[in-house]
Amino acid sequence: MAAWDLSVAVEELGPEAPPLSVSVTSDLHIGGVILKVVEKTEISRDWSDHALWWEQKQQWLLSPAWTLDKCGIHADARLTFTPQHKPLRLGLPNGVTLKLRACFSGPAFRTVMGICRVLNIRHPEELSLLRPVEEKKKKKDKETAEEVYDLTGVPLTSVSIPSLYNGMPAHFADSPQTEAVYKMLSITQPAPAPENITKMYRPASVVDKAHIHSRWLDSSRSLLQQGVQENDRLWLRFKYYSFYDLEPKYDAVRLTQLYEQARWAVLLEDIDCTEEEMMLFGALQYHINKVSQSEPQGMTSCPAMDDLDSALQCLEVKMDGETSSMDMLETMTTAPELHDYLKIFRPKRLTLKGYKQYWFTFKDTSISYYKSKEEGFGEPIQQMNLKGCEVAPDVNVAGQKFCIKLLIPAPEGMNEVYLRCENEKQYSQWMAACRLASKGKNLADSSFPTEVQNIQAFLTMQCPNPKSQSAQADDSINTHSLVSPRYQKKYKAKQLTPRILEAYQNVAQLSLTDAILRFLQIWQALPDFGVSYFVVRFKGSRKDEVLGIANNRLIRIDLGVGDVVKTWRYNNMRQWNVNWDIKQVAIEFDGNVNIAFSCVTANCKIVHEYIGGYIFMSTRSREQSDTLNEDLFHKLTGGHDAL
Amino acid sequence: MENSSSKSSGSENPSMEISFQRLSPSAAESQAKLSCPTSEGDDPPEPAGYSSSPSSLSDSVSVIHPLPPVKGGDVIAFKMDDIDAMFSDLLGEMDLLTQSLGVDTAPPESQSSSNTEINFSIGFTDFNESLNELEDNDLDALMADLMADISATEEKLALGDSSRPDPLPEPMGLPPPPSLPQDYGLPTSPGNTSGPRALAPSQAALPIPPAPASQPPAPPQACESLLPEEVEAQAKADKIKLALEKLKEAKVKKLVIKVVMNDGSSKTLMVDERQTVRDVLDNLFEKTHCDCGVDWCLYETNPELQIERGFEDHENLVEPLSAWTRDSENQILFLKRIDKYAIFKNPQNFYLWKRDTKSLKDMKEKDKEMLLEENFCGSSIIVPDMEGPLYLKEDGKRAWKQRYFLLRASGIYYVPKGKSKTSRDLACFVQFDNVNVYYGKEYKHKYKAPSEFCFVLKHPQIQKESQYIKYLSCEDNWTMTLWVTGIRIAKYGMMLYDNYKEAMKKAAVSSLWSNRTITNSSTPPTPSKASSQPNGHAPQPPVQMPTAATASSEAWAETKGHGNTSSLPPLPPSEDFLPPPPPDPVMPLPPPPPDSVLPPPP
Repeated sequence: MAAWDLSVAVEELGPEAPPLSVSVTSDLHIGGVILKVVEKTEISRDWSDHALWWEQKQQWLLSPAWTLDKCGIHADARLTFTPQHKPLRLGLPNGVTLKLRACFSGPAFRTVMGICRVLNIRHPEELSLLRPVEEKKKKKDKETAEEVYDLTGVPLTSVSIPSLYNGMPAHFADSPQTEAVYKMLSITQPAPAPENITKMYRPASVVDKAHIHSRWLDSSRSLLQQGVQENDRLWLRFKYYSFYDLEPKYDAVRLTQLYEQARWAVLLEDIDCTEEEMMLFGALQYHINKVSQSEPQGMTSCPAMDDLDSALQCLEVKMDGETSSMDMLETMTTAPELHDYLKIFRPKRLTLKGYKQYWFTFKDTSISYYKSKEEGFGEPIQQMNLKGCEVAPDVNVAGQKFCIKLLIPAPEGMNEVYLRCENEKQYSQWMAACRLASKGKNLADSSFPTEVQNIQAFLTMQCPNPKSQSAQADDSINTHSLVSPRYQKKYKAKQLTPRILEAYQNVAQLSLTDAILRFLQIWQALPDFGVSYFVVRFKGSRKDEVLGIANNRLIRIDLGVGDVVKTWRYNNMRQWNVNWDIKQVAIEFDGNVNIAFSCVTANCKIVHEYIGGYIFMSTRSREQSDTLNEDLFHKLTGGHDAL
Repeated sequence: MENSSSKSSGSENPSMEISFQRLSPSAAESQAKLSCPTSEGDDPPEPAGYSSSPSSLSDSVSVIHPLPPVKGGDVIAFKMDDIDAMFSDLLGEMDLLTQSLGVDTAPPESQSSSNTEINFSIGFTDFNESLNELEDNDLDALMADLMADISATEEKLALGDSSRPDPLPEPMGLPPPPSLPQDYGLPTSPGNTSGPRALAPSQAALPIPPAPASQPPAPPQACESLLPEEVEAQAKADKIKLALEKLKEAKVKKLVIKVVMNDGSSKTLMVDERQTVRDVLDNLFEKTHCDCGVDWCLYETNPELQIERGFEDHENLVEPLSAWTRDSENQILFLKRIDKYAIFKNPQNFYLWKRDTKSLKDMKEKDKEMLLEENFCGSSIIVPDMEGPLYLKEDGKRAWKQRYFLLRASGIYYVPKGKSKTSRDLACFVQFDNVNVYYGKEYKHKYKAPSEFCFVLKHPQIQKESQYIKYLSCEDNWTMTLWVTGIRIAKYGMMLYDNYKEAMKKAAVSSLWSNRTITNSSTPPTPSKASSQPNGHAPQPPVQMPTAATASSEAWAETKGHGNTSSLPPLPPSEDFLPPPPPDPVMPLPPPPPDSVLPPPP
């Protein structure tokens, strides 16, 4: 057989170097070509990660046993001998950029699996990569100082279960740098500056959202095939809103990143919510932020620490057992009380009486007031049981106004009462007591001191010059950084604080994990949660419409009005087909319902993959195996070219 | 008044004590605790402060309100202490009777303890009256219950703690409840008076009151190596601990409630504040031998506001009842409500309510399960996407105003004038933390509502008309059911599903039992079957449940499918929700007047 020259570029020889030319025959297999190329470079190094890339055809030559003939390679082919794993700048859900080595040769699905393995995120099938929204060039020069975490040194091993060391996967324990990376991954980021939220790209309409979804990479093709180059920037995001088996014990990184994605979705108005919901989101962010700063070891508890923890717990229980009788005695006899002079105001119709001062006693869940301290042992003027009441702050720190608004239920309705305190300290104590009492708890409850602290911390946020409160300086966040720009515009920070504080009282006792889970729950309960939008044109229709794809249904939405026109559920779905030539997706449902549409904003492969992906996600719960059925995923999501 | 009755003759004290022991373990404990020598040193000042402090007194006044006889009150609310007082009263009365028969009585023994008792009972003058209000069979039942409780506890004790030096009184050997006067046809046996005397000393000598059933066994006996003093100290500490726990137990609030059955009859039972509605239902299942179906429900009615609602199974019954006012005509009914768990039997009717009726009716079981899984088994509960125009009456205004409302997990919202129904524009109408949802009855007449299908949102403690109550009126019954169910899901979330599963378990077990007699071995696979199947075949209970309850449930399901002119699945009128017992399903007859009314004791 005639030998001919094949030209192969080798990156390691430098960008200027001419391609090597190796003499081959058509029946030489790829492995043989690689061997010849390596010999010719005269560089001795580990070439095991290298493979041949066929530039013109945009494909990898990954089967070493295939002959050149079989691959269809002739003398005009220009091959490149290049590593399969290249550094990638990965934008994480928390907004941080992480540099790591990713696989450029396998299907993107497998690349994501590899990345998630390194990052210690379970269920990689829920995530995918997408091209970032282009940033305006002008700002580029400013941003050069952006902090980039580097994990490129970490080898992409194929260990399926990373061994733990110090509570984190062993590959993070190598150096302080990698430990810092793990910390970044597993601990929530501090609240962003309000300006940063405003500056970031926000989808303004459904069409904008649809455009974002056109950026997903094709899971069945490799990164290089899709034009991703070394050191390019890609976003890693949760793509399928169907989070299987969230387990705080194993999912430190997964939960944190999921929370971050949810948080940004809320802050950037990617998902719509009501004002009340936004306040609750704000309160939870504040709480999560605070707790994760105060107990950073919470998420990265190592086995040794666990042992210590359990030992401590044991000890506590023991102590408990020994002192419980004393405790019990205490709780039954000496529930602490509060006594002080406060001012009260009871708005009644047609009366304009102002605040009047009395001697107040807080005992159990009731407030009593007397004319003066001296009469405090006699009959109170009035007594109010706060159980089941509504407590709202009415505070203006700058104006030194510290009022507690109480709505106390009675058989005849609710009684409105305002209590006015003199100063912050008094206010935080009485406010905390009122809150506990409204939940039926008395001052002996263990949460009382923390409640007082929480209220004080919140008050400092409102303080005009927080620096004077040096002790609390790091606690003071601008409440504007907890809400989306819409509410930044609508309310001043000091108007926002009491509203967030009001929502905060219901979540203040949550642990870090519980708070994150609660945030995710509320996010998932939003009506628009988990819907990915695409602009499509339905067969027989003349106008563009929006197709929403969720984890259980497809939604047809009117583009102009935004109303849901029709919903189809997957469990009624018989089959779906893609006509790749005319780029049309056809779906058949039970009862001879057929729909077909062509995709306007996104490649129809993306739509196809989305639907198939959700079908795949729904199969997970039934087969309880932990191994990822990659073949099934590709079967459901791959297009014609995957075959 | 109790004060005077116990002071008039100190002789009641011994019998009082014994009655406590027999009637309620916790009462006996508190009693014993007070006279317990080991704990006298650290005897907390609590009981005294408890009764004398104005706060707790007024607090209890609001709770304790025997109802006037005319109105046929249903709840006699009191704390444990009060029940003590009540029985002591009755005992006093009985003692008078026995005295008049010439039986001599024991001398007073523990004045101190009786004094504290007296303090507790200040202000509750008409207990006897209200007790007398109860029909005698109620009383019998109640007493039998209490006796059973005690004997169970004591049996346990006798088994568990045999090292006790003093033999415990044999509860089974005790005479019938002493609180039943002779008028009631129960003879007062001589043992009644001899009992107390025999037992009083043992009571006094007993350092530790009997442990309640839930009491864990004493700490491990692994202290053989300990010195005798240490052992003693340990024992003492344990005793103190025990005594304190008893005290705590004694603080548990209890209510005697009257539950009105389908047929207008009623059952009286005692509930304590730890009991859930589920517990009470189970209790009632036992008493009535009904089919234990999932639709059985404890139902609260408030005639003044003309509202009603079913208690959820996880709720503690005592708490909502404590909000009832003294003169309340509220009632608790025990009945079947199809709407209680309709959401789990036919989730598609709620989650896919926008669909046409036909496709919903043909829903496969598998798809129903899937719907439930989607909405209840994920990491977050999904609330049905209820939305639509409703008429609203609020803030004490008279007019009904139409608004477009939407239900979300975080509350009910409405679309403000001139705004769209996108999330950001919505105005919050109400959040569910502090309100319950009720059905409003006959509001067309009462409030000139646009329709009879009204529901009400209010704080559970509000019992009378108030501007803080929000009234909403729906187009039809089905819309109302959708909203009320949706609100319950938003408010209770997963709890509702757990309740249902628990109820299903109960129903399955009982249907298994009843099916033994019939040739049907398979457990019903669907909830609706489980609830309806056994009813007709169940052994007929003494208090008969009209089987019409089930019939109407089926009718409800049927009519839903039929579909008439409106696109929404129509429902039969609201009366069909309630089984049709005689004479008025909403407000069953007040209990018949007592046969004999004893005059209150002096």
